[in-house]
Amino acid sequence: MTNNPDSTSAVWVRGLRRTYGQGASAYEAVRGVDLDVPVGSITALLGTNGAGKTSTLEVIEGLAPATAGEIRVLGLDPVADRAALRRRTGVLLQRSGFSGDLTVRETLRMWSATVTSPRSVDEMLALLSLEQRADVRMLALSGGETRRVDLACTLMGSPELVILDEPTTGLDPESRREVWRLVSGLRDGGATVLITTHYLEEAETLSDRLEIMHAGQIVRSGTPTAIAAGHPSKISFVSAAGVPEDLAGVRRVVHERDRTTLETDALQTSLSDLLAWAAHNRVELDGLDARSPSLETVFLSIADGRDPAVSAPQDIETPKEGALR
Amino acid sequence: MTTLADRFSLRRTLSLARWNAVLLSRNRLAFVYAAVLPLLPLALLFTGERGAPSVGAGAIVTMFLVIALFPVYYNVLSQFVSRRDELVLKRMRTGESRDAELLASIALPGAITALVLSALAIPIAAALGQSLPVNPLLYAALTVLAVIMFAAFAYWTAAWTRSAEAAQLTSMPIILIASIGPLTNSIPDMSERLRDLLSLTPGAAISDLVRIGWFGLDGPGAEEATLTFAETWSQAGRPLLVIAAWTYVAVVLARRSMRWEPRA
Repeated sequence: MTNNPDSTSAVWVRGLRRTYGQGASAYEAVRGVDLDVPVGSITALLGTNGAGKTSTLEVIEGLAPATAGEIRVLGLDPVADRAALRRRTGVLLQRSGFSGDLTVRETLRMWSATVTSPRSVDEMLALLSLEQRADVRMLALSGGETRRVDLACTLMGSPELVILDEPTTGLDPESRREVWRLVSGLRDGGATVLITTHYLEEAETLSDRLEIMHAGQIVRSGTPTAIAAGHPSKISFVSAAGVPEDLAGVRRVVHERDRTTLETDALQTSLSDLLAWAAHNRVELDGLDARSPSLETVFLSIADGRDPAVSAPQDIETPKEGALR
Repeated sequence: MTTLADRFSLRRTLSLARWNAVLLSRNRLAFVYAAVLPLLPLALLFTGERGAPSVGAGAIVTMFLVIALFPVYYNVLSQFVSRRDELVLKRMRTGESRDAELLASIALPGAITALVLSALAIPIAAALGQSLPVNPLLYAALTVLAVIMFAAFAYWTAAWTRSAEAAQLTSMPIILIASIGPLTNSIPDMSERLRDLLSLTPGAAISDLVRIGWFGLDGPGAEEATLTFAETWSQAGRPLLVIAAWTYVAVVLARRSMRWEPRA
């Protein structure tokens, strides 16, 4: 058994590929992913639907084989070392799976019997605020409650590595914040968390590191601030005649419907110049808005394919000149 | 190094089986199929001449067919498929439970029902004038083998069963090859070749073993017990081989086509 090449990574993935189907109908969902999840961190895998997040996680979880690539989870092989690994990991799948005819307490008791050293059922009910619902059958629970039962199972074995696939999708804002507190608490307790989400706010608030996935590849990695750093700030206002657009720092001007957006590398300078011009000419800039680069800016530009660092997926061919004739 | 305890935990399996039994008891239709229906064939013992081996054999063969098909085959198939549909199996596989434990725990409630009913059949039949099994060991072995064979059939069928509803249709082929032997057993003037061919079906092998092992009947037309304990063993060889062959095929096919989550 090969040891983890880098013992500071709880999850270490190199060149991961995953293809569904065969022959002409084959679809490559994961196209060469490298991923490091530092021990003790919360790492978020962020991406639009269909980016390949779940396909990547399923390989890390040992539920599906990789088509190609190397994977080490806590230094072990997720398929070959399944028994040893399962005692140390807690997984939450994207969709919960429970028998509707068992109550919440029964469900947790059943799960508890499969765990080597489980925390008590009552403790888990309290941790996930499920005491009032303990004797309700699973089929009568709301989506958010079901998700909390699922999380209770995930955390029952006090796992070193927690893998959460969209834990807050479908939760109301209050439950979502509750889950965030819980996840932060896990890191504070020394666990490593790998989480997928398509909520930018969630990724930004929770994670130490971000991995942005698009079309089966990781296109950006780093802290949320570092990822946003290279991107321009934006000043926008309702378009009006005579407003200067060639301010210091402005690198791009976008006219969209009735708004003008200036993308700038020097927000403060550009904005000062703009406001100085407006004051001097006694012009009221309607709907003025100025913002620093955010994760949202980066994410949307990646999702729209406007990000220059993201190449188009190889199997989507751009029609050549004349090909359409 | 992996030990057997790493690969299969009896404690986990029994605990999961217990919860599967709880679930079964909460589903009225499934419960009737699994536990009530299989008792009905014993009513056949009240028909015909009291204590006649041919009557007894008919009732016990029918009971065996019913316990193999309902608590074991159909029940295991529909429980596995509905757990798979509900993503319960996928969820369980993210935890410490091993695949073999999940399979065994789903089969156990039906298997235990089958074993208990086949044991209960002995005093009930005796009270209604039938003799005790000539070869109880062979009878016990038959029960265990039939359970394993039909559980394997269930997991194989599950591979091409989309949903619990679809199981009503996909279970037909196995129900047919299981029933055809016992159903045609009583047809008197069947060609030797056809009877030979039918004796290779799983249901016919079970029927032969009941007739040999419990009633000491020698051959398909026999009416009176003639086989001794020792003779039952040599007569049992061929049907035991038939069951072993079907079980092997079912296990190989099931392993190859096993799916743990619904088709995308």
